[in-house]
Amino acid sequence: MDYVIDLVIIGLSVGMVYALVALGISLIFSGLDIVHFAHGEIYMLGAFIGLMIFQKLALPYVPALLLAIVVTGLIGVLIERLFYRRLTRAGGGYTVAGMGMIISGFGMSIVLQNIAFLIWGAKPLPFPVPFGMPVEVGNLTLPMSYVWIVSAGLLIMVGLHLLLRRTMLGLAMRAVAHNKDIAYLSGINVPAMISLTFGVGCALGAAAGVLIGPINYVQVQMGLGVLIKAFAAAVVGGFGSLPGAVLGGLLVGVVESLGAGFISGTYKDVYAFILLVLVLMVKPSGILGVEARMKA
Amino acid sequence: MPYPGIRCALLTAAMATGLAAAPARAEDGVIRIGISLRMIVENGLKYGQMAKDELEAVNAEGGINGKKIEVILLDDECKPDKGIANVNRFIHQNKVHLVMGSVCSSVSMPQVDITTKEEVPQIVSSSTNADITKKGSAWVFRTSVSERFYASVHAKYLSENVGKKVAYLYTTDTAGIGFAKDYMAFMRRTYKVEPLYEAQMQESDLDFRAHLLKIKSLNPEVLAIGGQLDAIARIVQQSYEVGIPKKVRRVSASAASNAPVPELAGDAVVGLAFAAAFSCKDERPVAQAFVKMVQEKYKVRCPDHDFSQTYETAQLIKLALKNAKLELTDASLKADRAAIRDALANIRDYHGLAAGPINFCADPTPQCRDGNRTGILVEYTKGGKDYDMRVLARVGFDPDFGL
Repeated sequence: MDYVIDLVIIGLSVGMVYALVALGISLIFSGLDIVHFAHGEIYMLGAFIGLMIFQKLALPYVPALLLAIVVTGLIGVLIERLFYRRLTRAGGGYTVAGMGMIISGFGMSIVLQNIAFLIWGAKPLPFPVPFGMPVEVGNLTLPMSYVWIVSAGLLIMVGLHLLLRRTMLGLAMRAVAHNKDIAYLSGINVPAMISLTFGVGCALGAAAGVLIGPINYVQVQMGLGVLIKAFAAAVVGGFGSLPGAVLGGLLVGVVESLGAGFISGTYKDVYAFILLVLVLMVKPSGILGVEARMKA
Repeated sequence: MPYPGIRCALLTAAMATGLAAAPARAEDGVIRIGISLRMIVENGLKYGQMAKDELEAVNAEGGINGKKIEVILLDDECKPDKGIANVNRFIHQNKVHLVMGSVCSSVSMPQVDITTKEEVPQIVSSSTNADITKKGSAWVFRTSVSERFYASVHAKYLSENVGKKVAYLYTTDTAGIGFAKDYMAFMRRTYKVEPLYEAQMQESDLDFRAHLLKIKSLNPEVLAIGGQLDAIARIVQQSYEVGIPKKVRRVSASAASNAPVPELAGDAVVGLAFAAAFSCKDERPVAQAFVKMVQEKYKVRCPDHDFSQTYETAQLIKLALKNAKLELTDASLKADRAAIRDALANIRDYHGLAAGPINFCADPTPQCRDGNRTGILVEYTKGGKDYDMRVLARVGFDPDFGL
C-alpha cells in the first residue's frame, strides 16, 4: 500500500507541473482562441529565468520563483503584443483561427529555443535548491521537493482562481474570453485583456518550469515533452476549461506514475495517451468540458 | 534581355551551387584525418579542439616524415544520423585516410559499418560498447576501455566489498544497455546471481522515481545506473529523493566520469562509483603533466577520460603515421588507408595516460582491437563545480576476458 501511495505522490507532483502548463494553454485558448504551441518553450524560458535569478541575483527560491513568474509573464505580454497581435488583427478582429496562428506558434517555439540555446547553451544546468531532508510519515518518505511542487502549485491555482473570480480585472478577462464584441461594447479594453490573459498563461508555464527545475534540471529541450503531456492533460480535462486542465494534469501524472510502477516504465509516455483515448471515447469534450459550440 | 541583373544573379547562384555540390578535391601529399566527436557539451568542444591541435601540431615541425596533417573536425552531437553523415562526408568528400571517433557508442556502432564497408581505418576514441569490436572489422581499433572490462571492474569490486543484490536501471542508449547487460552477464557467469530488479527507460526520460521507489522497496545493496551523463545525474539525485539510503552503493556507466555529472547532481554524487580509463587524480608524472597541459591550455580543472582518451588516440595516430609508408596521392588512397591500418595494428606495449599498456594486433577480433585493457574504479568524494574523486582500485584484464 505504501508503494501505491508513494506512486500517487510522485504522480501528483509531476501532475501538478502538467496541470500548470495545461492551465496556461487553456487560459490562452479561452482568452484568445488560439492553441499556443510555443508554450513548452515558455515553460523552458521561465525555468531558465528562475535559475538565473536564483544564481546571479542570489535570491532565495521563493522570491526567484515569484520574480520568474512576473518576468516571464511580461515577456508573454511582449510576445503577444509584438507578434500574435499582428496576426489577430490581420484576421480582421481580435481573434483569428486557422493555420497562420498554428504555424506562428511553431515558429515562435523554434525562435525561443534558439534564443535560449544562444544564451545558455545546450547542456542541462543544475538548479541546486536545498529543499531540506525528506519528511517521514509512517513508512512513507516524502521528499520536500514534492511538497514544494504540490503546495506551490496549489497556491498559484488558488491565486489564479481569486484573480479571475474575485477581482474586476478577472471579470474583464472572463468577459473577453466569453465574448469579445460584447466586452468591447461594455467598455472593456479588449486588447489589454488579451495581452494580460496571454501574460498570465505564460506566467503559469514559468511557474511549472521553476518548480520542476530542481528535480529535472533546466535545459533548452525540456519544453517538448511537457507540452505534449500538458496538451493531453488539457484535452482529458476539457480543452479551454480551467478546472479541467488541473484535473487532467493531475490525472495524467498519476496514471503515468502508476503505469510506470505497476506495468512498465519503458512505455511511461504511452499511459497518458491511453487515458486520453479512453476519455475521448467516453466523453469527447473532456471530463469537465462542455459541448463544442461556436464562440461569438 | 529584360532583367540582366536577375539573370546574372541566377547564373552566379547556379555556379555556386554547382561548386558546392562537387566533391572537394583532396590535396596530394597531405594526411587527412576526419574526427567525429560529441562536442555539443562544453568540454566536447575543448577535447575536440585538443585532438585537432595535437594532430596538427606536427605541421609546425615539418609534419610526420615530411607529410602535413589536415584535420576535419565535426560534431555528431551524440546522434547516430549526424555521426553517419560525418563519416560519409569524411570518406566521400574529404577523402580522409583515417577516421577518429566517436564518443557515444550509439554513434560509433553505425560508423564502424561504414568505415568497414569503405575500407577506411577508424580508431574509436571513447565509446565503450563491447559490440563495436565484436563486429569483426579489420579496419577498427579502440583506445577506450571496452564495457566488457569496465563491467567487471565494478562487478568484481562491488560483489567482494559491498554485495551481490544489484538493481539495474538504465536508459535505451547503447552505452547504457551495454553497461547493464555486461554487468548482469558477469554476475550470472561468476556468481550465478540474477538481477534483483531490472528496468530500461527511454533516453529522453526525466523522471525515474517510479522505478526507484520499486527498487527502494526491494532493499538492494547496489544500484547500477546505465545511461548518458544527464540521465546518470538525474537517477542518482532522484534515488536520494525517493529515500534510497546512502548505504546502497550507487555505481554507474563510465559516462559518470564526465564533469557535468557531479556538477548536475551536486552532493548526491558523493559515493557514486564508476569505472574509467583515467582520473585527474592519477599521480603518475605523465598523467599530471597532461592534467597541467589541459588546465593551462583548455581551462579544464579536472580533465576526464574523454580528454585523456582523445589525447591518447591522437598520440597513437601520430605513432602509426610515423611507421606507415604513405604515398598520399589520389591513386594511392586505398593503399595508404591499408598502410595506416597495418601500422595501427603493429602498435605494441604503448604506455601513455591509460592505467596500463595499449596493445593492438592484426586479427579483426576484440582481443586484438580492444587495445586498452586496464580500468580503474573511481568514486566521487565531493559534488558540484568543485567536485573531487579518488581512485578505489586499478584492474587489468586478459585480452579474452568477457568474451
